[in-house]
Amino acid sequence: MTAFLRRLAGHVARGLAMIFVVATISFFIVRNIPGDPMLALYEKLVTSGMDPAAASQAVRVAYGFYPSGSLWEQYVDYMGGLLRLDLGTSVTNPGAPVTGVLAEASKWTVLPVLAGTLLSFLVGVIMGVYAAVRRSGRLGDILAISGSLLHGVPQYVLALLLGAIFGTTLAILPTDGTADILIEPGFTPEYIGTLIEHATLPVLTYALASYGGWILAMKSSVVTVLGDDFILAAELRGMKRSIVFRYIARNAILPLFTILAISMGLLFAGAVFIERIFNYPGLGLMLIESVTNRDYALMGGAFLLITGATIVANIAADLLYTVIDPRVRSGEEAAA
Amino acid sequence: MTAVRIDGLTVVYKTPLGELPAVRDVSLELPAGSITGIVGESGSGKSTLALSLLNAVQPPGRIAAGSVEIGGLGDIVGLKGERLRQARGAKIGYVFQAAQNSLNPLKTVGKQLLDLGRSHGVADLRALVREARELLGRMGMDGARVLDSYQHELSGGMRQRVGIMLALVLNAHVVVLDEPTTALDMITQATILKIIREIHAERGLTTLVITHDIGVVAEVADRLAVMYGGRLVEQGPTREVLASPRHPYTRGLIRAIPRLTGDIGLAQALPGRPPTLATVPREGCVFRERCPLRMEVCESVDPPSAAYGERLVACHATAMAGATREETA
Repeated sequence: MTAFLRRLAGHVARGLAMIFVVATISFFIVRNIPGDPMLALYEKLVTSGMDPAAASQAVRVAYGFYPSGSLWEQYVDYMGGLLRLDLGTSVTNPGAPVTGVLAEASKWTVLPVLAGTLLSFLVGVIMGVYAAVRRSGRLGDILAISGSLLHGVPQYVLALLLGAIFGTTLAILPTDGTADILIEPGFTPEYIGTLIEHATLPVLTYALASYGGWILAMKSSVVTVLGDDFILAAELRGMKRSIVFRYIARNAILPLFTILAISMGLLFAGAVFIERIFNYPGLGLMLIESVTNRDYALMGGAFLLITGATIVANIAADLLYTVIDPRVRSGEEAAA
Repeated sequence: MTAVRIDGLTVVYKTPLGELPAVRDVSLELPAGSITGIVGESGSGKSTLALSLLNAVQPPGRIAAGSVEIGGLGDIVGLKGERLRQARGAKIGYVFQAAQNSLNPLKTVGKQLLDLGRSHGVADLRALVREARELLGRMGMDGARVLDSYQHELSGGMRQRVGIMLALVLNAHVVVLDEPTTALDMITQATILKIIREIHAERGLTTLVITHDIGVVAEVADRLAVMYGGRLVEQGPTREVLASPRHPYTRGLIRAIPRLTGDIGLAQALPGRPPTLATVPREGCVFRERCPLRMEVCESVDPPSAAYGERLVACHATAMAGATREETA
């Protein structure tokens, strides 16, 4: 147990260091993007004849925020705020703290991404086992080919295709927003129904886009394990088929957990395209808007959140490994 | 009494060139309570023969002809499905080469032992664990600790002893050991061979040891069979075969062993290379390409196994020499 805690502490320390580095880099990159919305407003007011001091005051009021001091002073301010989990105030949503905006947007991304990923992981892994076991038959061919095809199609093309088929041609699923605006929000069957309906296409896109990869990864992993000596040994010892199957499955699924963790972090990047296409107000759409509006605080916050999610997913995967793979566990004990 | 009778066994592998025999028309009897050693070079078909004893030839291979009668089981070649599975492990134990990882890396030895017990419907799992601990202790290990270990926590020699334990713990009376000491250092090898001999005697097993190392056979086997190109070319009591080999291949093998004392040049490598599935001659003697006693008849006629006392030798030259001796006598 102490070894586990020590491992966790090491991860947290490394994770915090990474967050610090990412926060620093994104702070400077974001502020070097050409274009400054406040300057634009300020200049507009001045050219329209307003007194520079009054214009500056007006901008400050409009945004509730005005950068002051050198870039270095702003940086120290920003980092200080970060320690208090204060990411500043959003410019596009006047007065709203970035953390609140992020939290609001997150719920529309995290749930669909999680649902889509887990769905495709489960189905893909099971189909991957079939593709491996039946690899010399027609079923195996079909599964492997469909996996390769789906794996090769970019997410946004898939999103457009699904939108065209189910949203336009068949017109059975909505492709816009998170809920029917005519339905009163609340914990009612109607509202939950419309939420699910609106989430179907984004979730389906996440799922289909990664499903091909899971089939291919699981297939090759199972084929490798099938060739391992201990599987033949188990058969020659007369082990029950169900037990041999468990031996195969547990050994084959191990390497996939790493891929799962990494893809969890990366999927937020995919959300940028998919939320845009389905006009789904999650983190991806928020990121696009914050970039368009040069909303520094919001952009920085979004980058931090994506970094944080990736780091947490990796830590989770690593800790999970120590639980499921005894070889990793004892390596830790030996090092301790 | 014969515990295992292999009769006319032919195993073929499917290749782009058609089905090619890896084991051809092999007949061998394992007397109850004996240790039989099979020696041969890589690719001679000895591992395929070993797998045939459990009817476990892996695709693309298959047993094309012959039978393997095992006492109390009948012909295992005819067994299928559940009955075959139950015979494996419970009636016939199989020990893998130590270099192969024959254990699930994610489970402790003890948990795999329980899986084995459940697979074979063992009612008293506690007794099974006790038995396993005793067997491991018997082989010089701390049974409780080994059962609590994962494969990666055990050395090659320890794994091999675990393999032997798993093959014996269900009370199998026929045990097949495939290259049991390959990849082990000399001292561990000696320990393992001693253990095999002791447990064999203690439990009255019928044992088949497959190896490419004549030294291993000389150490443990009562009887010796020499395999070449999928054929058994000579078999008989170990001492006799080693002292006066009759088949030119056996003679070549023994001459090729370097001695601890004397000139290294005394060891003579067998000229040429062993045949592969595709290059084994389809007719005539399989050894003729490397044989110093090659004759015309060897090209076309497969030499039948002829008995010389307790010995069986499949060689035209040996047969002729025997005949001449009889004529002159």
